[in-house]
Amino acid sequence: MSALLEARGVCKYFGGLKAVESVDMTVNKGDIFGIIGPNGAGKTTFFNICSGIYQPTKGEILLDGEKISGLPSEQIAGRGMARTFQNIQLFRYMSVLDNVKIGFHNRTKTRLGDAIFHDKRYKQDEEFVVEKGLEILEKVGLLEFKDTLAGNLAYGVQRKVEIARALALDPKILLLDEPAAGMNPLETQSLMEFIKQLNADGYTIAVIEHDMKFVMNSCNRILVLNFGQKICEGTPDEVKSNQQVHEAYFGKGIIAGEAVKGNG
Amino acid sequence: MEYFLNQLINGLCQGSIYALMAIGYSVVVGVVGMVTFTHGEVIMIGAFASFYVFNALGNNLLLGVVASFAASWIIGMIIYKVCYEHFFSAPRHISLICTIGISILIKNLAQIVFGPNQMPMLNVVKNNVYKLGPVQISTVQILVIVIVVVLAGILSLVFNKTKWGIALRAVSQDKTAAYMMGINVKRTAMIGNCIGCGLGGVAGMLLSIYYQTLSATMGGSYGMKAFSSSVLGGLTDIRFSAIGGLCIGLIENLGITISSASFRDVFAFGFLILVLIIRPQGFASKKGARP
Amino acid sequence: MRDFITKSKALYQKHKIWFNIAILVILVVLPLFIRQSYLMGVLCRILLYATLAGSLNAINGYSGQTCIGHAGFFCIGAYCEAILATRLGLSFWLALPIAGIVTAIFGGIIALPTLKMKGIYLSIVTLGFSEIVRLVALNWEGLTGGPMGIKGIPVPKVFGMQFSGSHTYYYIFLAIAVLFIFVTGRVIRSRVGRAWISIREDQLAAKSLGVQTSHYKSMNFMYGAFWAGIAGAAYAPYVRFIDSTMFTLDEGFNILSMVIIGGQGTLVGPVAGSVIVNLLTELLRPVGQWRMVAYGLLIIVMMWWRPQGLVGASDSILSGNTGKKRLSRKAKKGVSA
Repeated sequence: MSALLEARGVCKYFGGLKAVESVDMTVNKGDIFGIIGPNGAGKTTFFNICSGIYQPTKGEILLDGEKISGLPSEQIAGRGMARTFQNIQLFRYMSVLDNVKIGFHNRTKTRLGDAIFHDKRYKQDEEFVVEKGLEILEKVGLLEFKDTLAGNLAYGVQRKVEIARALALDPKILLLDEPAAGMNPLETQSLMEFIKQLNADGYTIAVIEHDMKFVMNSCNRILVLNFGQKICEGTPDEVKSNQQVHEAYFGKGIIAGEAVKGNG
Repeated sequence: MEYFLNQLINGLCQGSIYALMAIGYSVVVGVVGMVTFTHGEVIMIGAFASFYVFNALGNNLLLGVVASFAASWIIGMIIYKVCYEHFFSAPRHISLICTIGISILIKNLAQIVFGPNQMPMLNVVKNNVYKLGPVQISTVQILVIVIVVVLAGILSLVFNKTKWGIALRAVSQDKTAAYMMGINVKRTAMIGNCIGCGLGGVAGMLLSIYYQTLSATMGGSYGMKAFSSSVLGGLTDIRFSAIGGLCIGLIENLGITISSASFRDVFAFGFLILVLIIRPQGFASKKGARP
Repeated sequence: MRDFITKSKALYQKHKIWFNIAILVILVVLPLFIRQSYLMGVLCRILLYATLAGSLNAINGYSGQTCIGHAGFFCIGAYCEAILATRLGLSFWLALPIAGIVTAIFGGIIALPTLKMKGIYLSIVTLGFSEIVRLVALNWEGLTGGPMGIKGIPVPKVFGMQFSGSHTYYYIFLAIAVLFIFVTGRVIRSRVGRAWISIREDQLAAKSLGVQTSHYKSMNFMYGAFWAGIAGAAYAPYVRFIDSTMFTLDEGFNILSMVIIGGQGTLVGPVAGSVIVNLLTELLRPVGQWRMVAYGLLIIVMMWWRPQGLVGASDSILSGNTGKKRLSRKAKKGVSA
């Protein structure tokens, strides 16, 4: 068990707003790491810092022991971090296979000249991309949609395409931002199975999710954020029994019980 | 030094006409939310409208202002119907290309109707030159600055004090929200567009009086000036656009004190690109509310 | 109608090579059957503008940056060849690639500061650049001849054969256009082209997948500029006299409208746009100034009727259909079917 992704005292301020305030996090190799918290807790902002879309105001992010905060997101992707987005960001007007092909960008080397002269490197790359792309689509179960425009697919399928595209990077760690948002329970169920399967295949996964059943059952470690601050990090059992977590989710009144009853 | 000071006055005067064009332009861009290439043609129409009115009804400056404003208003309505109303939710380049199309159309129609040659403008006001120490200033220059200041004042009153103006500002900030507040977005946008065009038309009249000439092809370069001034000011911010126009006028006229007059436009565009590189949002301080 | 188009497309895809060879052969033997040099001149224009519009399409259509000052690159290419040929006596065949490379370098210079800019601001910079190039050409008399332009640009020669007049020069334009389409087609279907398109579709997603967007955007700009420079360099010895009035903003808008009318983001689109616009303006020549009015009208009608252009796909980010609306319409269709 070694730390793969580490956040050390990460802060992000937007003007006076403290979106993320000194958050520490350690994701170990092989984890399914859950990040939960009420709406507006700064979860997505925190992900955006990890993947380089935002630069942290303070603190640093380490991937495999190397500092990655400060790098642009494309370089962070190159170092082995892939992500999906809360509001799906597919290339809507491209086929599913083409979407995945772009994911292979960093693993292929074709340059302008190679493409013009169709030399050995180009041919190798194209073969590699198609072969591996189909392989990934098969694994994800999207082979039948390979020539469909990504934007025409059902919502749940689009989520899977986004994950497939991220897998094409062959990432060390996969960040999933609310992968089950907007899915019906059946779709959520199959997605969970899929994520667990990915984890079993050796991918380390960090996931933001609202579905408590999923988080508590499949994640082995959980980080809880509230108002940009970390209130708890630990195993599902530790989180369940944490007083502050209960307060964040249900408010002090309900936990204390008396106040509500008294008024009622 | 004397030359420099006179160029400063010239720059100020020219800059204030540019400022008027730029104000019109940024009203249009703000309200409609799309960039346009028709402003040059609007300016040209304004110039011709005043020219014919002066010819027919004598040298009445006020009539000229009204005529150029009204003519450009009508052109503005046509432009709005053709280029904007349909394309509010479409990608921006579509209405952009549409404005290029209608600009080609108007420009060439004007060459057919008004003739392709340059025409001399009438001497609308008697031009005296006043000397203040080393500086010379002419009646026309004073007149231009006065008209621009008055119009800008009226506009700011309309925008800040009237119901219309508030509706216009609301539409330029957020069309959906304005719609939900019960504002007729399409009509308001059209009126805003027409006001912007009208101001452009008056600027056209001032330009033709200032340079004593007008032609059907005069629009192109002035349209670009309006465009760049307004970009300097951050495209939708009216006050900063006016400052942008003044800056471009000054830069052009001061630029030619150090090199030849033919490089005038190079200075203007060079300055624009430089500002955009250093400060992509132009002079305006806040981001947002721009196309 | 739609059925017919899809069927003919399928047929083309099936026998792609033969169709292409047939088209090429027709284009090669065409001058043998055309006597009037006027008609050949029109054909030359069509081919020249096909390349120009195509090079602009490489920028606007594939990486989604809106360049509207393409005339500037055209101008640089033409002046570069003219200066090299008249001042240094360089052969056309050497000056052509040099002009292309010089233009590409200018494209890079323009691309660098604009990488962070979005949409209209980038357009404004290209516009200003185009005007500056024209004004420098107009005013730098020492180098460009100023308002007098450059006269007597020598025509290209191969083994004693001179390319003068539209009948022979046609082949130069044809070679360039074919080479351009061939090369661009290959680039588009490679890793590089996919990176460009991913930037057009969704820059944030492209970045998150490791596409170095700034690198690919500037490469894209240089690529487009290169071919515009080549087209310009080929144009200069054809007309044998160039001056700055040929490269106004209107010229840039002209090229842009060909791309839009034909269809952005497709290889055939700019060619179709060039054919239509040039044929139309030639057919309307007898009515004088009215042809430009008709041209303006054509642009507007096109935007209202088919914003994705004549051959552009309706299922594209450029078509003007905002994604959701279109998809829901499709979905309904699917249900009824």
